[in-house]
Amino acid sequence: MRPLWPLAVITFKEGIRNRALYGIFLLALLLFVANFLICGMILRDVGKVAVDVALSAVSFSGLLLVLFVGINLLAKDLDRRTIYMVLARPISRRHYIWGKFLGMAMLIVTATAMLGGCALLSIGSVRWAFPSYFPRFAWSPVLLALMLITLMLVLLAGMSFLFASFATSSFVTLILTVVSYLIGHGVAAIKALVESPAEVGIEVSATTVRVVKAAYYLFPNLSLFDIKVQAAHNLPVSWTYLAGTVAYGLFYTALSVTLAGLVFSRREFP
Amino acid sequence: MRHLLATLLLLAALAAGQVSTLWWAAGARQALPLPEDHGYVLPGPLLRVVAGEFRGLAADFCFLQGLTAYGRLLEGSGPSQARYSDWQRVYRLLDAATDLDPYFFDPYYFGNAVLSRNPEMIPRINQLLEKGLEWRDWDWLLPFYLGFNHFYYLQDSGRAAEYLMLGAQRPDAMPLLATLAARLAYQENRTENAIVFLRGILSRTEDERTRELYQVRLEALEKIHYLEQAVLVYRQHYGEMPGTLKVLQERGVISAIPEDPYGGTFYLDADGSVKSTSELTYAKGGTSKEIPAN
Repeated sequence: MRPLWPLAVITFKEGIRNRALYGIFLLALLLFVANFLICGMILRDVGKVAVDVALSAVSFSGLLLVLFVGINLLAKDLDRRTIYMVLARPISRRHYIWGKFLGMAMLIVTATAMLGGCALLSIGSVRWAFPSYFPRFAWSPVLLALMLITLMLVLLAGMSFLFASFATSSFVTLILTVVSYLIGHGVAAIKALVESPAEVGIEVSATTVRVVKAAYYLFPNLSLFDIKVQAAHNLPVSWTYLAGTVAYGLFYTALSVTLAGLVFSRREFP
Repeated sequence: MRHLLATLLLLAALAAGQVSTLWWAAGARQALPLPEDHGYVLPGPLLRVVAGEFRGLAADFCFLQGLTAYGRLLEGSGPSQARYSDWQRVYRLLDAATDLDPYFFDPYYFGNAVLSRNPEMIPRINQLLEKGLEWRDWDWLLPFYLGFNHFYYLQDSGRAAEYLMLGAQRPDAMPLLATLAARLAYQENRTENAIVFLRGILSRTEDERTRELYQVRLEALEKIHYLEQAVLVYRQHYGEMPGTLKVLQERGVISAIPEDPYGGTFYLDADGSVKSTSELTYAKGGTSKEIPAN
């Protein structure tokens, strides 16, 4: 842990100083303000829409953070060849990856905590404006949803580290991470779709079903981390589900980063 | 100084050019032939895949699109002249919104309120409400809407009573829902169902005023059921209808005709069912009570 900490702190500071962060925060703030306008158009279920918009804004901003700030934190070292400076120091490549990842995770947690605070403020102010249209609202599921969004972003950052460990440029890492995100969120729904194609009147070959099933186990199932609908309607979310999802998130992240460390330690630099 | 002035002039000319070309191009675009909108909306399961983690937000968007589509329907030729496909479009958008988030109340509420202006849409509305009924299992309003639609538009009091009974058992349901359900069931000659239902709901009701409301209706229905049974016994014994309830008393099938708690008088209707002049309301029964008539 000792060699990791300074690297994590430096990575965190580097991320915080990134100008893109201001843009992402500005976008999030605009979305939180837009919450008022959108909720003004809703007839009865204002509470649900307020929570939807606020949590989606956090998730979307967090995604931008991982894609445009996070990926650069590792890829920039590789692109600009500053990695040589680090590798010349007495620190193993695996430690380097873990240190960088730890800094990135700290950045994500800090950013989502701030964004989450703004989201709660946004929900609170809509509730203050339309108090009688929040019949089933509770804060605790919203907080749980925020926690799972954070974990999902950390997992995605772990995936991006894995891709950066072998990709030749940060652009490739970005594309692979976006693809993993899209597959990760759609894979469960696609699996359900190909397993019962009659529901939408399509025909699916046996090979497609096998490919989708393989993708289901290979790619992270990010839809597990999405409890926005439950939070919006204050529906029960069991502790077993939460514990299972958190454990899955931690295992998948650890697997990705460990694999990234392994690949990175064997990588030849020109 | 001259250089700055020239730059400012250039900027002003470019800005003017930008505004005028926008006006020109936007105007020309309006004249472009547009494809006819057939109101196609992607099926719900596909939308769920496309929307990913922003499913709730996509549901809100579909609902707002449904509002806009209805606005366009009104703006065009008005609800009476609108084409069936315009109504279908509103329905499909609301259906898509509830496929994305089946717990979202507004599409059900809005769909029920506006689509019912076209009687052809009633089966569609009921389909939409049935979906909500399954997911929003705490909500008494959806079975209430379904009950109303079956009673008013489809003239199916039996089904209406079933939906109202379901609604009455959901939390915070309007107390009158239970009495209304019982009355509809009675009108459909399902007095026994109405009695069983009211007994059940009475056992779970604590509010004194509401209990009184239910007890009076239960008492009336039990008396009607008693008379209905007596008519049945008479028919089995004499092989014909009694004609009036008084005949039951005269032939010793019953000791006396019970009193209607609503103040009316029980009688035997032409179709052989037991009715009351009060129609189970205080207003028609002539009894003044504080409890609202229903």
